[in-house]
Amino acid sequence: MGRRRRRRVDPADAARALPEAIAVLTRTLPTGPSPETFRRAKFDRPEAAPALWRLLFCVLSPMPADGASPSLALEAQARSVKAALRFQGYPRRALAQLPDDGSQGGRELLLALAWLLARGPTLEQLLAQSRVRLGDEMPVCEIHSYTRGCHSDRSLGHLSVTETELLRDPEGGQQLLQRLERENVRLEAALEWRRRELVFWQWMDTVLGACPPEASQPTFLPKIPAQGAAELELVVRELQALQEELQGVAETRWAAWEARVGGHGPEWSASRRALQEAVRQDLVALQWAWERGGGLAQPHGPHRLVRTEAGAPEGRGLQATEVIEVLRSREACLEVVLGQLQGQCRQELARLVGTLPGLIWIPPPGR
Amino acid sequence: MLPADCSSRLVAELRDALDSCAQRQRQLERSLRISRRLLRAWEPAKTPVPEPTPGPETDEEVPSSAFTACSPSPQDLKELELLTQVLEKAVRVRKGISKAGGDKAPTVKSESTATSPATRASTRLRASDWTGSHASETKPPRGIRQTRVPAKDLSEHRLVSVEDPACIGRGARAAKLEPSRRSQETVPLAAPQAREVFTLKDKGILLQLPVAFRKAASQNSRLWAQLSSTHTSDSGDAATTAKNHFLQKMQTTSGWPSSRLSPAEVEAEVGRLQKACSLLRLRMGEELTADPKDWMQEYRCLLTLEGLQALAGQCLHRLQELRTAVVEQQLEPWPEGRLPRASSPCGGGADTIRSPPLLLYSSTQELQTLAALRLRVAMLNQQIHLEKVLMAELLPLVREQEPLGPPWLALCRAVHSLLCEGGERFLTILREDEPAD
Repeated sequence: MGRRRRRRVDPADAARALPEAIAVLTRTLPTGPSPETFRRAKFDRPEAAPALWRLLFCVLSPMPADGASPSLALEAQARSVKAALRFQGYPRRALAQLPDDGSQGGRELLLALAWLLARGPTLEQLLAQSRVRLGDEMPVCEIHSYTRGCHSDRSLGHLSVTETELLRDPEGGQQLLQRLERENVRLEAALEWRRRELVFWQWMDTVLGACPPEASQPTFLPKIPAQGAAELELVVRELQALQEELQGVAETRWAAWEARVGGHGPEWSASRRALQEAVRQDLVALQWAWERGGGLAQPHGPHRLVRTEAGAPEGRGLQATEVIEVLRSREACLEVVLGQLQGQCRQELARLVGTLPGLIWIPPPGR
Repeated sequence: MLPADCSSRLVAELRDALDSCAQRQRQLERSLRISRRLLRAWEPAKTPVPEPTPGPETDEEVPSSAFTACSPSPQDLKELELLTQVLEKAVRVRKGISKAGGDKAPTVKSESTATSPATRASTRLRASDWTGSHASETKPPRGIRQTRVPAKDLSEHRLVSVEDPACIGRGARAAKLEPSRRSQETVPLAAPQAREVFTLKDKGILLQLPVAFRKAASQNSRLWAQLSSTHTSDSGDAATTAKNHFLQKMQTTSGWPSSRLSPAEVEAEVGRLQKACSLLRLRMGEELTADPKDWMQEYRCLLTLEGLQALAGQCLHRLQELRTAVVEQQLEPWPEGRLPRASSPCGGGADTIRSPPLLLYSSTQELQTLAALRLRVAMLNQQIHLEKVLMAELLPLVREQEPLGPPWLALCRAVHSLLCEGGERFLTILREDEPAD
């Protein structure tokens, strides 16, 4: 961004900056409440609460895939919002203490919204979630073949089903066009928001200041045993089992190896070091695979399918062959996990049952 | 057999699983429906132009207009008719030619040249007219069969660039001459229609997306690119500082220690460690099935196994830390009624912001494999999830109930089948009764 020219700040401009920034913000949001609602929320006016509950619900829940969103009652939405914020680690207890009927809490909800916006690329993620898809994600190749050469964008080369459908059905095409245009409005607003948001954050500081201070000893909510805790235990058991297996496997082999190989010359230690380094790097790469959250970003994600010649110049996008490889390895991994879980169950059941006399268990015929 | 709350939870889970399958099925069917509809003749929305010529199909319908609606003049209609006849002949002849497999590049080229002025005329009139008539004409069987993978010698790849705007009349006449000459040569080869893949462009048809749409679409991709570029650079340092200041203040006014882990973070990390476990196990399997041929390979194998063990230990350590944190912070890891999150809006928030990357394929086979693998991976994920749920619910029941009664045996048998055999096989339990004497 270029430097702003120094000029005297017109007080009227400064006064306008905040409402304008909020107006831009509401343009980027899917169901933006009015800027007036924001102002009322700062003073914790009850009429601001329902709109903000609904907005938070929209922000925190993903768009349903086929666009059919069941409209929940305000109370259900409020409960969902509370649970979702708690899950995300929202730091303030005041939210949990708000009544479920959605009648109060404007200021706290405003703080929650700002917290979500400040933590991460919330706006961008929202836009990406509801993004208008012009390409094909499902494999449909006939249209791709037929319409080769028809697309104005050379890098794509052919039309997608969506685009061809648009030609066949002008009305549907109109709707698609409108959705695109609406999205463009939101995108422009998001870009503009980046230029204007500073004044919003300064304002949020004052909103926070307007809140009464929270007591320093929070009352703890009772812990509800839930599926997640069980999952943690499960992984612990799996890892312990794995560790034991690894240990058992290696011990005898090491002994045999030592017996056979002990006492080689100096060239041997150089090779040893080289191998050690190679293995170390190998394992670092393996570790990276789960820490980075998966090598290939989302082969399931919204990729636009494009038909090309085999051996076309790379760098334009993902190659299907690569994705296939990734999926195959993922499949192998998952099969291992499933087999392991089933094995665990078998062991557990055998343990529970094995102590009982007078029973013969005949397993089903082998696979 | 099952207590009421347990069974209602399980039923809910299974119903969810069935619902998501049904949803996937619906998406696929919808996609198929749309594609099939596109490959048929397009229905007219208004009063149609009189049919150009009866083709091999009996019910050619003239499709409706695209966004531009202009009514053609009689002169234009006549020329269209003429051109359609020419094109049809050309198609029939070319099928014969390609059947023969000869290299008829020049003739094909002239055919395309001839038809391109027609293209321009047609796009002036109605973009989709030609699409419809030709889409229906070249789809010999009614119904939708997948056309076979195109052979490389087809004109699909010969994109002829047409520069000179030959006038329609001349083009038509020229084209008329060519096919007749060709038909003389190749009539005996005009064999039964081969189903082949072609491109509309080769037929001289250019579907063009309407201008308004193209503008909106290009603006859309431009805006997305802008959004992602300014995101990655430091946009507004002052704003970032202000945001961090706000977050910190939120944390300090809450009275809770800032080192708290949120349930979301715990869940994410447990998921990663689960994945770690599977990857480690997979790798262990690979090492164990490998057959080391010399001491060096054996050494490497053993080192790897040792390293895997160390990694497993690290992961365990981390899990135990998480467990302690959960207990200490009295976290509710997975609170009830939390919003169902879309299956990983991951790829990182940043990645999804860029324009959707392209996934390039080059054959139907690749697409089929891709689709099959995606489905398989989704199925396995679902199976694993259900397995975990069932384990969490059913194993405690088996442990707690009074053993030896017939209901318990039945429960065991059912649980074994579900958890260990995927519900596909059952084991047999024989009970030794006391001898009757």
